[in-house]
Formats: sequence, C-alpha cells, structure tokens
Amino acid sequence: MRLAGLAASALVVGVVFVALWGLVRAGEGIDTAVLASPYLHRIIRFSLLQAGLSTVLSLLLGAALALALLRRQAFPGRGALLGLLATATVLPAVVVVFAVVAVFGRSGWLGSALAALGWDAGSWLYGLPGILIAHVFLNAPFCARVYLRALEAQPPESWRLAAHLGLTPAATFRCLDAPVLARETPALATLVFLLCFTSFAVVLALGGGPDRATLEVAIYEALRLDADFGRAALLSALQLGLGGLLAAAFVLASRRGGESAGANRHALRPDLASPALRTIDGVVLAIALAFLAPPVASILAGFAAVSSLLQADVLRAAGTSVAIAAAAAVTAVGLALALALSARDLRTRRRRPRAAGLYAGIAFAPLALPPFTLVAGLYVVLRGHVDASTMGVPMVVVVNALMALPFAMRLLEPPLALAQERHGRLADSLGIDGIGRLRLVDWPLLRGSLFGALATAAALSMGDLGVIAFFGGSELTTLPLLLYQRLGAYRMEEAAAVAMLLTAVVFALALIAQTGRDADARAA
Amino acid sequence: MLALRDVLVSYPGFDCRYTLDVPRGSLCALVGPSGGGKTTLLSAIAGFEPVAAGSMTFDGVDLLPLAPARRPVSMLFQDWNLFPHLDAAANVGLGIRPDLRLSPADREAVASVLARVGLAGMDGRRPADLSGGERQRVALARALVMRRPLMLLDEAFAALDPGLRRDMLDLVDALRREHGLTVLMSIHTPDDVAGLADSMAFVAEGRIRAAGPPAAILGSDDPLVVRFLGRRASGAAVSAP
Repeated sequence: MRLAGLAASALVVGVVFVALWGLVRAGEGIDTAVLASPYLHRIIRFSLLQAGLSTVLSLLLGAALALALLRRQAFPGRGALLGLLATATVLPAVVVVFAVVAVFGRSGWLGSALAALGWDAGSWLYGLPGILIAHVFLNAPFCARVYLRALEAQPPESWRLAAHLGLTPAATFRCLDAPVLARETPALATLVFLLCFTSFAVVLALGGGPDRATLEVAIYEALRLDADFGRAALLSALQLGLGGLLAAAFVLASRRGGESAGANRHALRPDLASPALRTIDGVVLAIALAFLAPPVASILAGFAAVSSLLQADVLRAAGTSVAIAAAAAVTAVGLALALALSARDLRTRRRRPRAAGLYAGIAFAPLALPPFTLVAGLYVVLRGHVDASTMGVPMVVVVNALMALPFAMRLLEPPLALAQERHGRLADSLGIDGIGRLRLVDWPLLRGSLFGALATAAALSMGDLGVIAFFGGSELTTLPLLLYQRLGAYRMEEAAAVAMLLTAVVFALALIAQTGRDADARAA
Repeated sequence: MLALRDVLVSYPGFDCRYTLDVPRGSLCALVGPSGGGKTTLLSAIAGFEPVAAGSMTFDGVDLLPLAPARRPVSMLFQDWNLFPHLDAAANVGLGIRPDLRLSPADREAVASVLARVGLAGMDGRRPADLSGGERQRVALARALVMRRPLMLLDEAFAALDPGLRRDMLDLVDALRREHGLTVLMSIHTPDDVAGLADSMAFVAEGRIRAAGPPAAILGSDDPLVVRFLGRRASGAAVSAP
C-alpha cells in the first residue's frame, strides 16, 4: 500500500512540477509590466465582480429554496422540483450555456415571446447578465441541496423543543435555521466563488468580449489564439496564486463539526401555519420553478432532432468522450485509492498525521490548479519532444483525471475511515494486511463509493469543455466541444440533440454515483 | 505473568501510566469510571496505542517491539468483532489463516470450536442472523482458535442483558480454565465478576489506583472508588430518601 501511495503521489507531484517548470521556462524574460496593464486589471475586476455576484445570488436563491422545501414537505410537484435541482446540479457547464441561450437568447423562448409582444430586448444576454444567469443556474440548485441536507439533519430534539415552546416564525428562523445556514455558508460561499472565479466554458461562450473574461479564459486566449506562452505563464502564475488562496480558504471553511442524522419530523415545526411564510414559500418555489424548468425543458427539445445524433461526427465525438472519460476515471480513482489508503495507513497505524496530511494535500492540490495552467506548462515542456498533434488525448486524460482526483478522494476517504474505525484493530490483531485487507476489510464498505467515484470522475470528464477546447479540432472532438461548435454555428436543433445526449449520459453517471453512495450507506 | 512497569501512554495534555501484574492463568477485572483509562490500558497491551516509556512483558517476552498481530494476545471489543459480510465459520477461520485459505483440518477445527462455544451448526450464519450473545460467542471462538495465551476483553459483553452477560462470563471462565488463558477484562458492573475474578484493578484518571483481591478493592475507602460504586463515605449504600 505504501508503494502504491508513493507512486501515486510521485505521479501527481511530477506532473504538477513539470507543468510549473514549463511555465517558469516560458515566463523567462517576460515583461512583467503586463501585470500593470489595464487589460489585466479589467479581467481581474470582472472576474471578482461576476464571481461575487454569482455567489451572492446563488446563496440567496439556494437558501430561500432550501427553507421553502424544508417547510413545505408535501405539495404537488415537490418531487419534480427536487428532481430538477438534482438534474441542474450535474449538468455540464456547456449544456447550461446552451440552455441559457435557448431560453434567454434573442431567438430563444423568452426573446421570441417578447418579440411576439412587439418588444425587442436586443442582445442583453452576452456579458454579465448571461454569465450570472448561467452561474446561478449551475450553483443555486447545488447550494439549495447542501442547505436542505444540513437543515434536515438537525437533531429532532430541536424541533420538538421549538414546537413545545411555540416559537414564532421569526424566532424559529433565528434559533433553528439561521445557525445551520451560517454554519454551511462560509464553505459553500468559498466553493461557489472558486468555481465562478475559475469558470471557463460559461465565460468563454457568454462573456461576449475580451474584456469580460476570467483569467482562465484569458490563459486560453493567450495559448490558443496568440500562442503567447509567456503571457499564459504570467496569467497562470496569477491564477495559481489566487486559486490557491481560494482553495486554502475553502479547506479552512470546510472544517466544521459533525451533523446529526435526522428522520421525518418537520411536521413539528411551529412556523408551518404562518400565512406570511406560506406566501413567501409559494413565491420562492414559483420563482425557482420558473427559473430552472425552462432551461431543462429546452434540452428536451433535442428530441426533435434526435436523428441528427446518428451523424458520423456525433458518433465519433461520443466515442472519443467515452474513451477519454473512462481512462480519466480509472486514472483518477486509481490515484485516489492509492493516496487514500496510504494516508489512512499513515494516520492510524503509523501515527504520522503530518505525512498523512501531505498525501491528502497532494490529492486536493488540483483544486488550486487551473487546468490551463497545467496544460500550458506541460505543453511548453513537451512540444520540443513530442509531436503536438499526438499530445491531445493523453493530455486531456491526464488533466481531466487530476481535476477529478479531489472529488474521487472525497468519496473514497469516508468508507475507508469507517472500515478502519470498525475493523481496523481487529484486522491489525489478526494480521490482515495489504491486498487481503482491501479485499476482506475495506471492500464491503468501499465498493459502492468506488463505483460512485468512477461514475463521478467519468461524469466530470464527459461534461468538460476545458482542455479539449485547446487541443480539440476536426481531428479530436468530444461531445461538449461539438455542442460548443454547433452553438457557435447557430445550429440550435442539432445542438439541443447533443445537449440532450450529453445530459442523459451525465445524468446516468450521476445516478450510478448516487446508487453507489446509497449502497455504502446501507452497508454502513 | 503479564507485567507492566510504568507503562506510559501519552496524549496531548494527558498521560496514562500503568503498573500492574497479572499472574498466568488468572482472571483480572478492570473497573473504574468511564474515560478513566481502562480501554487505553487494554489497547496498549494489544499494541493499538503507542507506549512512550516503561516495560511490558508476558512470560518474560517483551511485548513492546511486537506488532499487534505478533503479540500473544487475542482481544474482544464491545462491537464490530465480526466482519458482517463473512459467515460465522469464516470469521472464526480468520483466526487461523488471515487470508482465509483454510485446509479441511482448519475447517474441522473451526466447526469444533464453534460447537464448544455453543454454536454447533451455525457455521454458515452471518452476524446479522445471530443474536448479540451469539456474535460474541463467535468472537470468543476465534480467540480460542488463535491459541494466544492472553485474552483481553474490552467491555465485550456490556451490551448484553444481565443473564446473558453472566452466561458469557461463565463461558470465558470455563475456557480460561480449559486452556490456561490469562484474562484481563474491563467491566462496568463489578457484581458481574463476583466469584470469577482472581483479582481486580481500579483504573481512574489514567492510573491504576488500587489492585488486589476483589473484596479489598470494592471495600476500599479511596474517594474515587467510593464515588464509582455509589457508596457513602462510610461505605453504606446510597438509599432513596
């Protein structure tokens, strides 16, 4: 196990080191005056502005929606709304871009409806409004689900006490709901801000101009459009520093106490009968439904062009996506398993928590590493030695695997810790070690999460429009890139069909991931 | 004999230090308040807690350099003594071969020891299909096939009802006599081992405050013992007003 952990960490650190070395080489002699350029300042200002606004709006809508769903346990369509939230959470960014354009674009459903009423709203979508809509669509459902899970996990005694004391709706919120929201918000806000700050596909497609870019998009433009590796290196260094700070803030904000598992006892809440709250909840639920349902429905419009999915380029792109996703998933989960097992061994049996923390840190390091930073660095180092045209697939696999590594690690660590907690001492006393320990002790508690991690990593890779945008072209196309190309060519019906296919695949993978987690929860 | 001399287990801001002798073939009960250091003591002997200083021997063999699986120790916990996905026979078989490659003779030994603990014919049952007492019997059976002379029980029967608890303790005592085992067990209720324990050690605040015959420990005037047993300082039992 120790060798596997060492090999995995050497691989991850090696790739990162080579990429950083490449960036340093590319950045040699570069004029750092770029750092003072108005262009860069505009990008950073815009990145901060859109990420800040996206975060605030996502948290507000997510919290309001979670509270409304918590208080209204039975209303027609609650299940459908929860399904919408789950669907929106797993949608790839490029599919969301399509959905936002299909609904809010000039020729979209809303634009057409307004035009029918004789009002031309113009091209208002591209720029900050479009980015905010897409980011809120992507993140508010996630926030709602996190908040709802935390609110539902409150100890039943709290509800009984609130009902017993006959707390007013305001007091119920202050005493019961607000502390939970306050506890969850720092980590959630940091994560959403990090995701929006480093957003690529949404900003690339909906930004509407070079001034409305994130650093990630600026790095892509420096590499792809200008082949300016020095500028890419400088921007990457900046992104690395800011991303690292945000990732560190997320790790710090994530350290919080455990939660109590709850059962269905919300009928005890004293604020359910309040007419004012009923109205507020109704309005919130209606807004959420109106905001989330049309974009998801627009994806279903792909049925109209479902025959276009049999075109050769779609089939080729689908095959490439599956192959890349499978390879990236196996790589990510293999690395995560080796790192997680080694970290556990060091923490519990060898009592070296710092060394264990190092392994965990290596697994989570990619959170702070923007994909284009890795690509830029690796490309600079490898282009002299490897034919650039053959670099695409392996590079996309490696980067996608590294990007999925923190998520896989997060899924694998809890069941491994549980197996150790339950059976670790027994296994130690019986001398069960190595592969035998993995097979006999860990596997029964781990297998669901392992398949879940594979499905999650595959889903992330399937939906990714990041690195492939740099390497992709007519020779190498994945489904997200194909969707982006069709969107750019205004082939909306065919784009809808690809979006539908992509959504179906990612949704199926998300279901597999959830089934795996549920199986582990039952086994526990 | 199990001999502990100034065995130090160190936590941030809290040290546990133990000195104790348990003669070979005897049964020693560890009593004391929760959080007093009983489990830490058993875990240190089993090799689960690192020992910072002191010496620990069993029949003259230094235990400290040995990994848990190499120590002459078998241990029963309160929970999770069995792997839920393995049947009773496989759980016992782990005590013979950790890789579960059991020979026909091994399987025979497993069946025989299961019969000895009163579980004849239950080889194929999984833990979920066994009662709490039966699960602990399977764990006892595994401890027996491991043929290790020192048996540690960490409140192993605390979750069972009083009658079943007594049955299990009688079984442990019978097995101890048959196999010449040295048994060290932590318990909640001193009455459980009345007539069984050869000696008793009172563990509190990370120290062995007193050790000796059970009657002497239970009659001690040490304020911690008095409080633990719920006696008045005079030794009279607390009674309702």
